[in-house]
Amino acid sequence: MYHLYLVKGIGGRIGFGIATNIKDRNKHYSSHSGDIVTFPVIYGGLRSHAKAIEKTIKNELSDHIWYVDDWKTEWLDKKYDETFLENFVSKTIEEKHCKLKIIHRNYNFTLDNS
Amino acid sequence: MPATAASMVAQAMAQELIYQPVPRKPNPMVNINPLKRGSGKTVTLEDRVIELEKTAAWKKNIKQWQEEQTLFDMNRLPKVARVPLGDLLIDEDVQRPLDEKHCAKIAKPGPFDPALLQTLQCIKRSDGKFVSTDGQHTGAVLSALLNAGVAGNINWKTFEFNVQYIETDDLAFARRAFSVLNGKGKKRQSAYQLLRNDVYIIRIDGNTSDEEEVITEKKVSIAESNECFPVEEDSPLCKYPSTFTNIATFKTMTNEEIDLSTKWHNKYFHRDPIHVSLFFIFKDLCRDFNSAKLPITEKLLEELAGLIQNLFVDLSQYSSSAKEAYNRWHKNRYGYLGSWNDDAYACGLLHLYKKFKGQEKLPLTLLDRFDDLINFFDEDLLNLAS
Repeated sequence: MYHLYLVKGIGGRIGFGIATNIKDRNKHYSSHSGDIVTFPVIYGGLRSHAKAIEKTIKNELSDHIWYVDDWKTEWLDKKYDETFLENFVSKTIEEKHCKLKIIHRNYNFTLDNS
Repeated sequence: MPATAASMVAQAMAQELIYQPVPRKPNPMVNINPLKRGSGKTVTLEDRVIELEKTAAWKKNIKQWQEEQTLFDMNRLPKVARVPLGDLLIDEDVQRPLDEKHCAKIAKPGPFDPALLQTLQCIKRSDGKFVSTDGQHTGAVLSALLNAGVAGNINWKTFEFNVQYIETDDLAFARRAFSVLNGKGKKRQSAYQLLRNDVYIIRIDGNTSDEEEVITEKKVSIAESNECFPVEEDSPLCKYPSTFTNIATFKTMTNEEIDLSTKWHNKYFHRDPIHVSLFFIFKDLCRDFNSAKLPITEKLLEELAGLIQNLFVDLSQYSSSAKEAYNRWHKNRYGYLGSWNDDAYACGLLHLYKKFKGQEKLPLTLLDRFDDLINFFDEDLLNLAS
């Protein structure tokens, strides 16, 4: 199982990413941020599909991406919230018939006993 | 009629080959395609100066000039003169040897246009001699044409031609100038800019005298008729569906290959930018199916689209997965990572098609290559076939 996740930064900014091990990834965000970081939505499914949708986000939302100087991040401009990104991702998954499903909501590693 | 066991198995195994339609969205490129027509806009040099002066890089540059209190020497600006061709010298240690074939090519009647001859670049030594630092081919072609009498009765040696020069005996300057004039430090035209020029000459200027330009414009027209659009690399237009940037590969394709590939893209993957693998795949399919005298059926085209959609979502992800598989295959077979081979796009796709029980006939020439590449695709994908 591979994952495509939405991430909410401590300041509320919304981002996205892909990972095999979601628990480790969430710990990394938390340790860098100095607080528990939430993944509002996690989609699970085929690795190739998660990667394809991540690329689609980067391309179709290229005008909404947050830049740190010239560095293109995997975070959106602050005016876009998690509902905006979830709607975009879910609609894309549905329209493109991707094999990805929501497997967690409001996830963080402290809730994960695996 | 009851289905036979065999046909039920075939149907069940072919699930991953079934393409499901994706809702079509209007493509903004249809209206904003820059190749459709020129902007028709002219700006003044002053507009450009204002534009330049606004940039951070330029401001930083000027600040440095000011801090160093430097003035550039106006006497170093190049001068122009008309010099008899027979008086010109060529320093063989600065310029390349004469390329006779190149000269013969540019001097062909028809394509040769004297209006395109460029000013010769020279240094003027303290002994008064002009030494050419760039443009020996232009000089040689013009002189030889005059000598052949194709411009009438003109003595080429006394014929005066335009020369741009600076006065110096410094050959290091001449060598550096030759490098600069021949590309070093110059902003070269991109493949897209060259293509745009060819297209504009036909579409805006209505000039069809150059065969290559006509051929290029035709290719672009075919792609556009299938709502596919060449755009500049890294331009803001790249985010739009059905745009592509690999002009070099596009230009190597035949009209039929362009039509088939862009039609296929527009039918099945109209929401995505075009990945260059599209062109490599269709070039290989067209050429190998043609050699094997096999038809590329509509069923095959749809099933290949279904396979890509079901396993990879889109062609871009297929390409990434194929490259990963190729790297693992190469490492396993040869013990080290090899450079990517574009033929593996089509071969890998047809191997997957067979694996997922595709029934259409395929040329063995494509199936025989990279024969066990299929085993190196992601396990979760291959498991879908079993």
